[in-house]
Amino acid sequence: MMDIALDAPTRTFVEASEIWVPEGDRLVHAGGNYGILDEFAAASARESFGHGEGLPGKAWAEARPVVLKEFDGSYFKRTEAAKAAGLTSAVAIPIFDGDTLKAVLVVLCANDSERTGAIEVWQASDDILRLDDGYYGAAKHFEWVSKHTHFPRGQGLPGAVWAANTPILMRDLGSGYRFIRSESAGKAGLTTGLGLPIPVPGDETYVLTLLSARGTPLARRFEIWDARSAKVGKSNEAVLIDGICAREGPLWSDEDERRATAWQGLIGKVIGSGLPIVESKVPGLAAGFDSVVALPIHQGGELSHVVAWYI
Amino acid sequence: MSTKRKLVVIGAGMASGRALEHLLDAEPDNWDITLFNAEPRGNYNRIMLSPVLSGEKTYQEIVTHDDDWYAQRGITCRFGEKVSAVDRDAKTVTGADGIPLPYDKLLVATGSAPFIIPLPGHDLDGVIAYRDLEDTNAMIDAAAKPDAKAVVIGGGLLGLEAAAGLKMRGMDVTVVHLMGHLMERQLDEAAGYLLRKALTDRGINVLCSANSKEIVGEDGRVKALLLDDGTELPCDLLVMAVGIRPNTQLAKEAGLAIGRGIHVDDQMVTSDPDVLAVGECVEHNGAIFGLVAPLYDQARIVAKTLTGEDAAFVQKEVSTKLKVTGCDLFSAGDFADGEGREDIVLRDPARGVYKRLVIENDRVIGAVMYGDTADSNWFFGLIKDGEDISEMRETLIFGPAYQGGDPLDPMAAVAALPDDAEICGCNGVSKGDIIAAIHDGANDLATVRAVTKASGSCGTCTGLVEQVLGVTLGDDFVIPAAQSVCGCTDLTHEEVRRLVKSQELKSQQAVWQELGWKTKDGCHVCRPAINYYLLADWPVEYQDDPQSRFINERKHANIQKDGTFSVVPRMFGGMTTPDELRAIADAADKYNVPTVHVTGGQRIDLLGVKGEDLPAIWADLNKAGLVSGHAYSKGLRTVKTCVGSSHCRFGTQDSTGLGVKIEKKLWGAWSPHKFKLAVSGCPRNCAEATCKDLGIVCVDSGYQIGVGGAAGMDVRETDLLVQVPSEQEAIDVTVAFYQLYRENAKYLDRPYKWIAKVGLDWVRERVVDDLENRQALIDRFALSQSVYQKDPWAEHVRERADSYAPVADLTLQAAE
Repeated sequence: MMDIALDAPTRTFVEASEIWVPEGDRLVHAGGNYGILDEFAAASARESFGHGEGLPGKAWAEARPVVLKEFDGSYFKRTEAAKAAGLTSAVAIPIFDGDTLKAVLVVLCANDSERTGAIEVWQASDDILRLDDGYYGAAKHFEWVSKHTHFPRGQGLPGAVWAANTPILMRDLGSGYRFIRSESAGKAGLTTGLGLPIPVPGDETYVLTLLSARGTPLARRFEIWDARSAKVGKSNEAVLIDGICAREGPLWSDEDERRATAWQGLIGKVIGSGLPIVESKVPGLAAGFDSVVALPIHQGGELSHVVAWYI
Repeated sequence: MSTKRKLVVIGAGMASGRALEHLLDAEPDNWDITLFNAEPRGNYNRIMLSPVLSGEKTYQEIVTHDDDWYAQRGITCRFGEKVSAVDRDAKTVTGADGIPLPYDKLLVATGSAPFIIPLPGHDLDGVIAYRDLEDTNAMIDAAAKPDAKAVVIGGGLLGLEAAAGLKMRGMDVTVVHLMGHLMERQLDEAAGYLLRKALTDRGINVLCSANSKEIVGEDGRVKALLLDDGTELPCDLLVMAVGIRPNTQLAKEAGLAIGRGIHVDDQMVTSDPDVLAVGECVEHNGAIFGLVAPLYDQARIVAKTLTGEDAAFVQKEVSTKLKVTGCDLFSAGDFADGEGREDIVLRDPARGVYKRLVIENDRVIGAVMYGDTADSNWFFGLIKDGEDISEMRETLIFGPAYQGGDPLDPMAAVAALPDDAEICGCNGVSKGDIIAAIHDGANDLATVRAVTKASGSCGTCTGLVEQVLGVTLGDDFVIPAAQSVCGCTDLTHEEVRRLVKSQELKSQQAVWQELGWKTKDGCHVCRPAINYYLLADWPVEYQDDPQSRFINERKHANIQKDGTFSVVPRMFGGMTTPDELRAIADAADKYNVPTVHVTGGQRIDLLGVKGEDLPAIWADLNKAGLVSGHAYSKGLRTVKTCVGSSHCRFGTQDSTGLGVKIEKKLWGAWSPHKFKLAVSGCPRNCAEATCKDLGIVCVDSGYQIGVGGAAGMDVRETDLLVQVPSEQEAIDVTVAFYQLYRENAKYLDRPYKWIAKVGLDWVRERVVDDLENRQALIDRFALSQSVYQKDPWAEHVRERADSYAPVADLTLQAAE
């Protein structure tokens, strides 16, 4: 029934996710999920990045999400280890609370002609969101279309996220979604999309979209938690406002509210600390999934939302 | 033979679906149920169609009862089949097969149908309602067409959800709403303003007070919506979301008692004891229902009635939420203005928050919230329970978790400004410049002004400069207390004027919200000022609000101490003609005007006119070519002249001609206070030009323009602004000066008071020295005059004559 419901063992779009947090003047490793890529994991654990150094340092210094599709000859520091692990592309997403960097999330993908999905960074200019960059795996036509599509406020997933200033989950990318892109999305098998604002210091506006395909899902469970005091009061809690799961179906309810409290459970840890988490094979993972990435969004001087994706 | 009782249900909507759940929970084995539904599907969560439309949900996700659910409970589903007849005597229902199906109990749940406005063209292809999955799919299909345009008639819950969904699908969407603000049944104007702003921000075009006239088609398909003001809105899809009507046709044919809906008692039983009804098709105690909460209550009651339990449906307060992602609003109870009701209002412009509680007899009777709905359930509880709130009244608005609250802090806004933010627009001084000066030792306003020139020109940024001083120096600097406009705000007039311009505030609601007004919609002190600032700064966008004016301006006549009015026709430059004088004399005779007086402004005042005669006397005077002299307005009064070179031996220029030209240019304009002019033909100054707000004294070499004179409580001679050689330049400087005054002065400051604040040099720079700026002022004045230079007499005679009629015609009564 669910478009992301194929629950058979399958190759996933993202190979590894990791978190870097500032410590002094450097970004240090603060956890990750590398699957079976043990050597890359070990190489990463030894690493740290200065301001502007490597991919996480660049996202920090430039205060923007950064997509890197070619490691060779680039500023990427772990090229050899990445190559050995078959990794070829990465996206770094800085998490800012006002002017303060809280963490950088890096997701790494393997260039595989069979894996489809999209991680896109949209940037606003002249009242229009244009594709800044994106990684699409095998979805080449969709990549081409996306480069030639722009979104005014309120239109499509990126435009709606921009206008509403809130993460949004869309189920129906293959139907009527800014027509040309929807047709191509449908052909690429992209069905479910999570869009979220990426607040950064200064005036720039960025929207990140994660589009998941049936065959090689980016995630099999998505959750959006609303933690704004305007929604939950000053209670240090968050309420699940939308979500979909390959195992449990829709996670929203217009009658029963699901709440998470600070420091209770994995989402609670994000609410309490304001920092992202990447966890795998730990107790408390929803619906028996193997791993989770949960990302806080800080807006207006408070934690506004937490988005989480599980696989 | 089965001992089960036969229940036939007509309509598989949310109410009957919930009723079946309750019934089968209580008595899983007692009923043989047949469920008819005209839609070819079972029960789904209809209120979640909007997220399906937007793509945020799928239809599958909102299915409440799937085939398995019905099958497991042994319910015979006859979906896609309309019931053609109910025979209450035989106790049968007949479907499409024509075979009567017997029942022991019949549950009618036929729901409601969308109301379609019978506009010409309402039956064209592409005109749809928004009610079910078919409508939703039709909208999704329409949005797939490149550059498709949609018009949604109706700015209520459904209409706005449709508009937001269509916009997310990529359509160009316009909402056309008949009333003055969106969701007027659930929201007050202030919350409606914020909602409109949020929707406009996401690219939806919103038209309020817009009346649809005709749906225009081409080849049988919708092409555009035509409004009664002539606006044509092209569209490929027209969605009507203007309300619902209970579906009562079948019940009516079956002979059940109906009103607006099917009559039910507290047990949800109709006029037939074996026929029950539930949902949007019913009428209970005169009320019909459209929100889900009461329908679910009804479902619970109807199930209990079927199982023979005692239960009664009681109508409760309902609350509203809008399902447009990112728009957080809440409303409940009664929030109309009324005798004995008080408002508690909290606004946070930075967060786009508005909260209003309506209190009556120490109880919360209504609540409207936008942007922050965290405490909505708590307030809703207070309303439902009628709790006495007198003990917590002071802190009530902050909600249950109030811990000292976060009072609004204007300093925080200044602290948040980046260093390159411009503080003083006149002299191009940034926040960083001011901070640098403070670091170099400037620790008060005067020193900062001396070093940076900030606030040294027009002075409107004085408050900001003081706040930068406060932010930078902390406790070492005490901001002098400024005089706020009134108790509704802490802002001064100057700050309000600056913010109206810089934040592009174009409506009263925008001012109340964005500037954090403490009252719902201002008071008698601030409203006239705000009304003036808005119409002066945004003549095209802002609609003048007569309710925000003093009575003289509202009535376009000066009320006298006996309740009668004075009527003063305009005599341009003090010139008149025998025909005009005859018309004035005739009018004075006809309307028994007791006093005719020649004013100091060179015109004739008819005193003692009865209020109800005003439109008629105006009409008569209009016929003779006379227009209102605006003797009552905060605006241009007269241009007094002497006879000048045409007749006078000493006259150096055509002073009357110039006076007429100036008055013809300026009449009709509103200003912060009244504005009087004069043109004297020579320095002997017979027109007394040197004690006017602006006075021109003609000399051999040209025109001396003086400003800032006064001859009232204060007496003051004008200061020379400039001498110009040509008549045209004299007119230009006059217009530019007037516009500068209109754009910058505090409401109720005459020019001499305003000039004392900003300095004559500052005025001269803008009006005399900077020719580009002079022309820009003239252009802006011309734009304003294109809207406001109209005779209010003619307009009132044409459009508002009724409002001048006395409440009862006592003379007629006496005669009878």
